[in-house]
Amino acid sequence: MPVQCLPGTDVEWYSAKKERDMKRVFQTAAVFFAALSAFVVWESWNLEYYTSLGPGPGFFPLWLGIAMGGLSLAWLGGEFSRSGKPKDRAFLPPRAGIVRILSILAALAAMAGFMTLLGFQLTMFLFLVFLLMVLGRQALWVTLVVAFLCSVGVYHLFGSYLDVALPAASVKFLAGLGL
Amino acid sequence: MELFDHLSIGLQTLFTPGNLFFCFIGVLMGTLVGVLPGLGPTAAIALLLPATFHTSPVASIIMLAGIYYGAMYGGSTTSILVNIPGEAASVVTCLDGYQMALQGRAGPALGIAAFGSFIAGTISVLGLMLIAPPLAKLALAFGPPEYFSLMLMGIVMLIYLASGSILKALMMAVFGLLVGTIGQDSISGTLRLTFGIRELYDGIGLIPAIMGLFGVSEVIVNVERAVKSEVVATGARNLLPTLQDWRDSIRPILRGSVLGFLIGILPGPSSTISSFTSYAMEKRVSKNPEKFGKGAIEGVAGPEAANNAATGGSFIPLLTLGIPANAVTALLLGAFMIHGIAPGPLLISKHPDLFWGTIISMYLGNIMLLVLNLPLIGLWVQVLRVPYPILFPLILLFCLVGVFSLNYSPVEVGLMIGFGAFGYVARKFQFELAPLVLALVIGPMVENYLRLSLIISRGSPWIFFKRPISAVFILITLALLISPLVPWIGRVREKLREKVEREKG
Repeated sequence: MPVQCLPGTDVEWYSAKKERDMKRVFQTAAVFFAALSAFVVWESWNLEYYTSLGPGPGFFPLWLGIAMGGLSLAWLGGEFSRSGKPKDRAFLPPRAGIVRILSILAALAAMAGFMTLLGFQLTMFLFLVFLLMVLGRQALWVTLVVAFLCSVGVYHLFGSYLDVALPAASVKFLAGLGL
Repeated sequence: MELFDHLSIGLQTLFTPGNLFFCFIGVLMGTLVGVLPGLGPTAAIALLLPATFHTSPVASIIMLAGIYYGAMYGGSTTSILVNIPGEAASVVTCLDGYQMALQGRAGPALGIAAFGSFIAGTISVLGLMLIAPPLAKLALAFGPPEYFSLMLMGIVMLIYLASGSILKALMMAVFGLLVGTIGQDSISGTLRLTFGIRELYDGIGLIPAIMGLFGVSEVIVNVERAVKSEVVATGARNLLPTLQDWRDSIRPILRGSVLGFLIGILPGPSSTISSFTSYAMEKRVSKNPEKFGKGAIEGVAGPEAANNAATGGSFIPLLTLGIPANAVTALLLGAFMIHGIAPGPLLISKHPDLFWGTIISMYLGNIMLLVLNLPLIGLWVQVLRVPYPILFPLILLFCLVGVFSLNYSPVEVGLMIGFGAFGYVARKFQFELAPLVLALVIGPMVENYLRLSLIISRGSPWIFFKRPISAVFILITLALLISPLVPWIGRVREKLREKVEREKG
């Protein structure tokens, strides 16, 4: 049987679907917190709850886990019973935004992983070039000047004036270059 | 006479080249982060905390305190000139400040904001000087039950004053306390929730958590949408307010100063609350309330004075009781701990140079800020033009260096990334991060005081009710927790929250 489309029905359908999806996201988050609480309670259960002196190491985390579980369930219940649109402003970022966020997190992780191998100066230089040029869309000369000053400059500033030695490269060739 | 002796100690401590330099750097950095939208004092203090590891405790605290109150000065500049609040506390300044700028009166608006901030800052430092020592003496009578109850009340009050859902704020506080339990138990030595990771044996470091929650997540929130680089700013001339401007402003400044100072003592985002309360109060007492929102100078003078006075007030619980009132003072507590100093009732007697030096530095810092913010206003307008695509990599650079230089541990950098991602998601779900930070910082203390109290009472929780001071704190805590369930209180709170949201929007 053909479905008759009324004016505005599509918009309402999408809006209702979006609301349902949003609710599901919030419910999932509440379930995540509840699961985390259950894990904490389980871990604390294996610790000593009470000793001859008084409360043991398991006492505080156990009660916190229970409290967290209760609050998570209250949140979950609230999400099930709530009617109307969640009070959010553009919850999900656009696809390009997600790419930017993941790029930043990946760049930070790469920086942490390679810093002791390639040395602070080179990894920070590459890190800044990536952020300035690829994500920030800055001109090449701006990118190079800022990246150079901030990588080499910060390395020497911290090493010479603040007494904080940042890592040098552990690769012999790079170490030989003073990086 | 005793007060003069103390002032003399403070002056001797402050007037050394090193401490003066750090005071200047603090207020300069504070103004800078206040001017730059998207970078608040919490993130700035977190970013600069590692730079203080190798300086003296006095210089460190002087600088970090300078960032806090300096940011309140700088926050007004962007509110007035470009209608973008540099700080949450300056949101309300946009309402009349920007209107004044549109009417060609940006100069007097900036001028009265700076003078008002100076007067309020001075009044709040005087209040701090007079109230802190007797309060510290009173706090000497506190034992573990009183401290536990007081800390619990602090956390609950911060939750109660949160602008969003109380349930979610409570969840963040409990989560912060839970994160604080990770590591070796300080009483029995048992490892808890460490998953065999050696770096977690000492617990989750404050710096990686703060850098992630306030540095990395702030950047992620800002780059989520397109990374914009354009800045529009109107000019500012004739910064000195006229006699009529002074007549209109002096009472709001004085009222804002007293109000801000008193609100500052309470836990919570005191600077923001005090500026909104001052605005509402000025509108109510004004003979021409219809002028508000259309460029009334009282709408700039009162809130700007209030948010500055609140910073002074918020130092009272930190310096006298060792309990932070908000996320910024929680970080300052972290700074004290890093230097092996426990703020609290004994701080004044054990470290008079630190206590009085910091107080005197706040007075001098206010004078420095007046100079920085009036003649150099053009410079700050130029700073506004630094594009965010250049700024955000530098923020991440400071986060990385700050965390890595702590213990040279990639695991801690990983923790920072994790907290950054968590902070971003938490903001998406409208969770507030301040209760999490406060709970994370004071969590281990809360647990120790709770366990010590129960050891003293041989397991009886009645100890918290039997001791009068503790009983008062517990009763206030319970009243705050129960009050949202009372329908009319819940409705009033909801109405207030909606009003704040409307005025922010």
